[in-house]
Amino acid sequence: MSNAQIEIQLIASLVAVACAIPGTFLVLRKMAMISDAISHSILPGIVIGFFMTQDLNSPLLILLAAVTGIVTVVLVEYIQKTGLVKEDTAIGLVFPALFSIGVILIAKNANDIHLDVDAVLLGELAFAPFDRLLIAGADVGPKSLWIIGCILLITIGLLLAFFKEVKISTFDTGLAASLGFSPAIIHYGLMTVSSVTTVGAFDAVGAILVVALMIAPAATAYLLTNNLKRMLIYAICFGVFCAISGYWFAHWLDASIAGSITTMLGFIFLLVYLFAPNKGVIAVLYREKQQRTEVSLLTFLLHLRNHNEEEERHVNHLNEHINWQKVRSKTVLELALKNNMILIDNNIVSLTKKGKDFTSQAIDYIITNEDSKIEHMKDDFFLFRG
Amino acid sequence: MKGNIAVQVDDLTVAYNYKPVLWDIDLEIPEGVLMAIVGPNGAGKSTLIKSILGILNPIAGSVSIYGKPYEKQRELVAYVPQKGSVDWDFPTTALDVVMMGTYGSLGWIKRPGQKEKKLALEALEKVGMLPFKNRQISQLSGGQQQRIFLARALVQDASIYFMDEPFQGVDATTEIAIINILKELRKANKTVIVVHHDLQTVPEYFDWVTFLNVKKIATGPVKDIFNDDNLTKTYGINYKVSIQE
Repeated sequence: MSNAQIEIQLIASLVAVACAIPGTFLVLRKMAMISDAISHSILPGIVIGFFMTQDLNSPLLILLAAVTGIVTVVLVEYIQKTGLVKEDTAIGLVFPALFSIGVILIAKNANDIHLDVDAVLLGELAFAPFDRLLIAGADVGPKSLWIIGCILLITIGLLLAFFKEVKISTFDTGLAASLGFSPAIIHYGLMTVSSVTTVGAFDAVGAILVVALMIAPAATAYLLTNNLKRMLIYAICFGVFCAISGYWFAHWLDASIAGSITTMLGFIFLLVYLFAPNKGVIAVLYREKQQRTEVSLLTFLLHLRNHNEEEERHVNHLNEHINWQKVRSKTVLELALKNNMILIDNNIVSLTKKGKDFTSQAIDYIITNEDSKIEHMKDDFFLFRG
Repeated sequence: MKGNIAVQVDDLTVAYNYKPVLWDIDLEIPEGVLMAIVGPNGAGKSTLIKSILGILNPIAGSVSIYGKPYEKQRELVAYVPQKGSVDWDFPTTALDVVMMGTYGSLGWIKRPGQKEKKLALEALEKVGMLPFKNRQISQLSGGQQQRIFLARALVQDASIYFMDEPFQGVDATTEIAIINILKELRKANKTVIVVHHDLQTVPEYFDWVTFLNVKKIATGPVKDIFNDDNLTKTYGINYKVSIQE
């Protein structure tokens, strides 16, 4: 690996971490779309800052862009508060307006200088190593590495200091307010961090793809854990993994690095969405199927308990009687046998002692309206689950 | 009338978009009562609590807790919001939610430690939720979630408890468990203020009641003022409850 390659991967990884932290809280606050709005509407801030400083990496430019980010949030909230439009509509009204101001400003004034809409929206990570930071004539590394590094350090510092405050105001605004943790201060603090991060990341991955780095890792992590700290750590890991694997994917395809990183993010999310152990689509479908079979088993056992007549308990009769198709009857019958709940003698089914114990407890719980306890009972009685 | 005034509300008016939801409320809540706030939907019951706690800004009036503004007395007050006001899919455990009750006394930046954890475990024990301490909160039943909220308020060891519909969506067992805890709080001379919907249980559960419908209709001991006259004034229709002696 060349130095430039290492630098690019380092910048991409730092951007990923810096985005995953505010992104986790945006996802939990159901504000994912706000990051999209901020990423667009910082454009006029960047343009005005650029006119004033003639430098895409100036701190003033970052500051101005962050201010436009906050203005976006304030405007969205103000329009929403009038009660005339809903939040998503307000977002849709505000950011194109601010964005278009940026587009016009660039078209009118920046034709002859190095600033175009593409550069701001899409970024170009491959060029990042060319723009060096010189301190007293010495080359200390790419400028964007330093910028995103500083932003990341501040973000981590704020997270460590105010983790408890952000958590409580995200989970329960009312309680946070009554305990004296002003939800407004925390809200605008988070919005400022999101804006600053977006600005810091724009020239690496572009203002639009930064949304993917904020939302996708957090959404992926959310499917894998029930613990906020772990969700943050997982989101950071996913972000960094996609940043690095995305870089090599781009290298192999000879395509846009930012585009490849985002593709990786989407791919990883899809994998987790399908295969996550508890919340994944497949796990949910499997659990539903298992529950359906187990409810059928319970129905079947209760039926046996209720009927002593042999004709009600004949294997063939059960298909017609409980009104199940052959396959389902067979599955249920086999499951009951495997769990030693029934005996089949001469095609007549009867409950074993274990089957009787199980059904009498189950009936107790059903009568006393404590059906939920049946779930725990299954752990004691079932050798095999549905 | 008992001794101290725990909560005093003077001329409180709250408006949403220029429409008053609470109109000129004067209210004195004596220390050590278990008080129900009753009134129809939209009467401003939750709004009254939120305004007392500084969550909403009133357009007029003032509130004092033991004679001082709320901001100076936060440590004396615990709040149980409506269960529906939070996202129960939030990635956290029962114990962690109860620990949040300790955040107020910790203040900014300081993090909860072993002492706070011990307090939270004790509060979980009191509401019978200790076995569920590591359960993710979405995997708790409605009644269990309400107990967690109650435990979170208990952990604050406050003097005044505000609760917004703590009996909403809980089963009979939990309701009895909760009311027993509230009665214990009253025995310890704490003041408990509850937004309540079930008029039938008011005489059984509470000793003090406030009728509210945008304006304050009446406030006082249940045995004196919980009658058809006040119910009719509050709910606007001829309201009859049979109060069982």
